Parts: sequence; C-alpha cells; structure tokens
Amino acid sequence: MTEISHEKVEVVIAGSGIAGSTMAAELGEAGFSVLVLEAGPERRLSDMISSQIWSRRLRWAGPEVQETGDLVGAANFAMGWGTGGAGLHWYANWYRLHPDDFHVRSQYGRSLDWPISYDDLRPWYDHAQAYFGVSGDDDPNAPPGAPYPMPAIPMSSQSTAIKRGFDAEGLTLTSNTLAVNSVPYDGRAGCILDGWCDAGCPIGALANPLVLQWPRAKKAGVELRHNAYVARIETDSAGSKATGVIYIDENGQENFQPADIVISACHTIWNARLLLLSSDDTHPNGLGNGSGTLGHYFTSHALTTIHGLFEQETEPHTGVSGANTLCLDGYDNKQPAKDAFGSRAWLVGQAAKPNDLLGTALAKPEVFGAALDDYLRKASSHYGNMTVLCEEDSIPENRITLDPSKRDRFGLPQAHVTNSLPRANVVRSEIARSEGLRIFKAAGTSEAWAGPRNPMHMIGGTIMGSDPSSSVTNSFGQLHEVENVFVAGASLFPTPGAVNPTSTLAALVFRVADYIRTNRSSLLP
Amino acid sequence: MMGRRRFVTRMIPTTLWTGVFMRGLSRNAEAKTVEQTSFKLFTQNEAEVLAAWCNVIVSGAQQAGVAQFVDQSLSGDQASSLLLLRYLNANNMADFYRKGILGIDTESRSRFGFPFLQLTGSQRKEMIAAAVASKMQVWRDPDPNFFYFISRSDAVDVVYGTQAGFADLGIPYLAHIPPPKPW
Repeated sequence: MTEISHEKVEVVIAGSGIAGSTMAAELGEAGFSVLVLEAGPERRLSDMISSQIWSRRLRWAGPEVQETGDLVGAANFAMGWGTGGAGLHWYANWYRLHPDDFHVRSQYGRSLDWPISYDDLRPWYDHAQAYFGVSGDDDPNAPPGAPYPMPAIPMSSQSTAIKRGFDAEGLTLTSNTLAVNSVPYDGRAGCILDGWCDAGCPIGALANPLVLQWPRAKKAGVELRHNAYVARIETDSAGSKATGVIYIDENGQENFQPADIVISACHTIWNARLLLLSSDDTHPNGLGNGSGTLGHYFTSHALTTIHGLFEQETEPHTGVSGANTLCLDGYDNKQPAKDAFGSRAWLVGQAAKPNDLLGTALAKPEVFGAALDDYLRKASSHYGNMTVLCEEDSIPENRITLDPSKRDRFGLPQAHVTNSLPRANVVRSEIARSEGLRIFKAAGTSEAWAGPRNPMHMIGGTIMGSDPSSSVTNSFGQLHEVENVFVAGASLFPTPGAVNPTSTLAALVFRVADYIRTNRSSLLP
Repeated sequence: MMGRRRFVTRMIPTTLWTGVFMRGLSRNAEAKTVEQTSFKLFTQNEAEVLAAWCNVIVSGAQQAGVAQFVDQSLSGDQASSLLLLRYLNANNMADFYRKGILGIDTESRSRFGFPFLQLTGSQRKEMIAAAVASKMQVWRDPDPNFFYFISRSDAVDVVYGTQAGFADLGIPYLAHIPPPKPW
C-alpha cells in the first residue's frame, strides 16, 4: 500500500474528545503547531438532536470491543465518535477525587498509589472548574478547593421527593456539582433543565468541546483532521523517540504524519490499544510496556441504580441527565464493614425520558404489554432514581489486551477487555444497594427496586507511576521509555475512586500541558 | 459476548413477570401515519414476525413501524444506526435480528406446531414470557432473553420515544433541536 506522507507538525494528538481538544487548545495557545486526528466524522451543533433515538449516532461506531468478566458491557455506550468524542454526550458530573484516593495502597495495603497527591492536583482542579464552568455549592464532604464559579442548579421535584429518605437515614443530600451553567457563563447560555444532556447540548450550557475547546483551538491555529484512524505510533531505529503516527484515512489509505511530540488522547481502551499496536523490535510487547503493565489495572465503577415510584409528581423528564443532587456522606470510609472495601457516592435525581438504556421503560425490563403501558403512564410523572458509584480495586488481572483472532475493518487486532469486580468491592456494592433501597422506602415510595450491577466509566490500562518497572508513564503522562510520547485521559489513573472521572482527567490534561510548555526546548529538536 | 449475555440476563429478573393482556388498538396517533413499505434487508415474513413479536411487548409497535425502523437502521452503516443494539453488540447486527426472528418461529413451531404469526394472542404472550424467564425450549441463539431486551427497546423507541409518544404519555418534549422525523 502506498503511504501518504505529510508535513511535520510539532504536536500530533490522537483523539478530539475532552482530553484531546483541551490539550490541543492549551498547546495551540502556547504557540505549538498542533494537529488532531479524529477517527470519526465532523460533528456540528446541529447534530445534537433532542431525541434518545437520534442521539445514538453520536456514540462509538469504531471497531467493537470484546469484553469478558462480570463488570463489562458499557464500552460502546460510553465512547463517542466524531468531533468532541464522548464530550458530546457526557453527563457533566464534576467531582474531585478525595485525598485518600491517591494513596490507597499505602493506607490500606491494596489497589495502587498515585505518584502524586491531592495537593499536587488541587490547583489544576481549581483551574479546570473555571475553564469548563462548574455550578455547585460548598459541600463539607468534598475535598478543599476554590469556590465554584456558579451557584448550584436548583433542587428538582425528583430530588425533593427523594431527600426525605436521606434525611431519615441521617445522610446529607447536597446540590450536585456539574459542568453545566446554572446561569450564563463565559459567553455560554444558562441551562434550561430540559433533560436532554446526553443527546448533546447545542446551546452550550453543558460544557462540550464544540462550544468550549474547539473554538479556542481553531483560533489558535490547531488543525483537526477527521476520519483519520490512528493505527500506530512510529519510532526511530533506536526505538527511543517517536517520529510520528500512521493513520488510515476514509479511503483506507495509510498516511504517515511526522511529529516531534505524539499524544494519545483517545478513550481509555484505545489509549492502551494504540500503544499495544505500536510494538516494534525495540518494544516487542507494545510501546511503553517495558514494565509489562501496559493494559493492566483496568478499572471501572460498580454502578447500581435504585428506582422508585412516588406519590407526588417528580417531573422526571426535567433537570439534567447527570444528577440533580449528591451524597458524599461516608465517602472517606473505605472499609464500611468486614470484608467490604471501597468508597461510594450517591448521584441522585437523574432526568429520565421514556426510552434508551437509562430511560424509564428499561428501568423495568421484565414488564411488557398493558402492564408496561400502565407503568409508563405512572412513571412519566412519578418516577425517581438515584445511582451509586462504588470503587473498584486496581488489580493486574483486569486488563486490556489485543485479540489477534478478531480484526477490525483495517485488519488490526481488536481490543479485548477483561474486568471482574473483586470480592471486597462486591460486598461494598451490596451494602450500598441495601442502603439505597432503605432510602427509597423511607422516602415514601409506593414501589422501590434496584437494578443490576453494571459498569460505569473506563479507567486505567496506561497507569502513571514513579517506578518505571511498575507503570507505563510518569506523573505527566509521559512514557517512561519514549520521552516524546504522552498519554492523556482516564487511562492514566492508577485508582478510580468512586466519582466520575472527567474533572480529574481535565486537571491532569492542564498539568501535562503545562509540563510540555515548560519543557518545550527539551522536547522539541 | 458471554459478558453481555449475563449483563442483560441480570437486567431481567425472571421472578417478576406477570401475565398481562394486550391492548388491541394503538394509542399512538403517530402510528397511523406510518405507511407499509418494502423492506431493504428483511423479507416480508421476517418483518411481519418481528413486528408481531414487538407488538405483544408494546402495543402499537407494529403500526408505529418497528419493523421498518429496524430494517432501515440495519441497511445503513453502523455509524448511522439508530438502534440501541449498537451499544451492546455491534458485531453483526443484521445477523442478530435474522437469527432472532428465526428463533421465534423455531420455538413457536416446537411449542405449538405453528409459526408465530399463526399463534393466538395468549400463545404469543406465553412466548414472550418464556423469553423474559429464559425458558425457551429450543431457541438458543441469539440468547432469547437478550433478543427480548433489544426488541423491547426497539418497540419502546417507536411507540413511546418519539414526539408523538411523549405527547401520548403527557410528557412535554422540550426539544432544543426537534428530530427531523420520528426515526
């Protein structure tokens, strides 16, 4: 196959989602010449159609991920396809990891430690929340940081109904923290609480890359190339420096894009897969895999949703898709019972439409016919829900690998994810499930039930660490073995905590971008 | 794949199902606007079996065009698909539906001696209940429980997930950008 070669850039970034677009804007504004390669098509705000049916076009449409284990099945739902990636349909829940989440191994003798502490990341969390625009009130259970730039979104009818249960259990329900404008902010509109967040927010009240990062990046001269599927990172003959990336264009043609710095900013699974696909004579087991940890320590969050029907009207179709309110009481108690381990967080009052995976109909999948119709008529105005996220230990057995027996349309091995929840985390998840049902019963539901345990978020696989013999990158996402290759995204996290990862992902991107800016002279030839 | 099958099976507790009666008429005004069209991928019989199966799960799904909805999405590429299946098993979606439809008729003939389209209303409900309870006798692939889950979602989409469906449920649609058509 003839290879097309392009003019060299200083920085090439694989992936245009939240990690890639934020990095591109930061480095472009710092004067680097930056090219972003996006596997999917160009997206516009007009693609954000308010429909659960139509919004499926925003989801992943690349090679399928093979999955095995008892906590899998969310890959194609969670990932995005096209400009902005998953940033076009994310839920905008915005939380910081807690100080203990960075030192789980040291404090509890299990899982892993981060090479940095909360204090190292705190200023970047502060910066990120101002950049994205975060609404929220002070929560004594949240880690310390700057005040949020906007007041919280008001408590919804759904949360008001559920709050009675938290009060009865002696738990504090607070307003949620969201990258959603409660008032106009930074030239973007305030949220009108119509509950369509995960179909895309074309008014830009929810911070998404089309309204936030890409206008900045383009103004700074960043080039964005669509339908460019990055297949491998190339290195020099010594294997010590990356020379660029190979990508396949929409015509199936191989292209070589030379670059001084390569940044893999794909979704978690694809960061690990790209490095595994980039094996060569010097790196036979994958680029950056001298430690043998590439792909290992994949984690997720064990999710259980509590559903209920309330006597009062809850207007479940309104609000935000993420959550209206939050309970972090007890988050820092990682050992709530004998044989149980992990933090947990309650995300309460998610807007729900009738259809799709998180809709009211699928909350009761066993019901059909007239019973389904009766249920939906009740649920349309009286349904409430809340979801608990529980921590998963980082263990080497849970991992991302290549499956040579399954090939994508370009003949490359597909990714295979193995993830099973360790026993102590299962016990923790079951305690939370019981707690949730108690809360809903105390809230006065006429009926309350728990959904199954499912995965939410994909984390790890290219973990950072201080020791090159047990991690893939240093704390700046820089491969230990190839200094001009960086990774951005939740794949860097050694541990997942029990909160949504995007705030931490963004804080790390800003920290890494600052490192690249500061070390420009040594990173560029 | 095993992981997905367990995932869905867990979503459908087998002890909770209770028998119900079908509604004979759709409440969905939008359903009346869907015209019978030729199919791009399904045979006429495949489409009729799928529509009849979905209609037991969600009354009005047949009239709302569930078979056309699925057929239309399967005829394009994965990126343009509007089916929920793309989240959970995008490997060969057309094969999944075709095998499932074949499974419906195979099970129907084994249980009752007739294809699904010739069953009575109560026999059709018995088939759906068996899928919910993972109690099919001869239908194995694709997992009937998973096929029920997916086809139920398709039926919910066309009956309740459209602007007309929202209106029928009394839910304000509140669109930023209204869909150009139901699906």
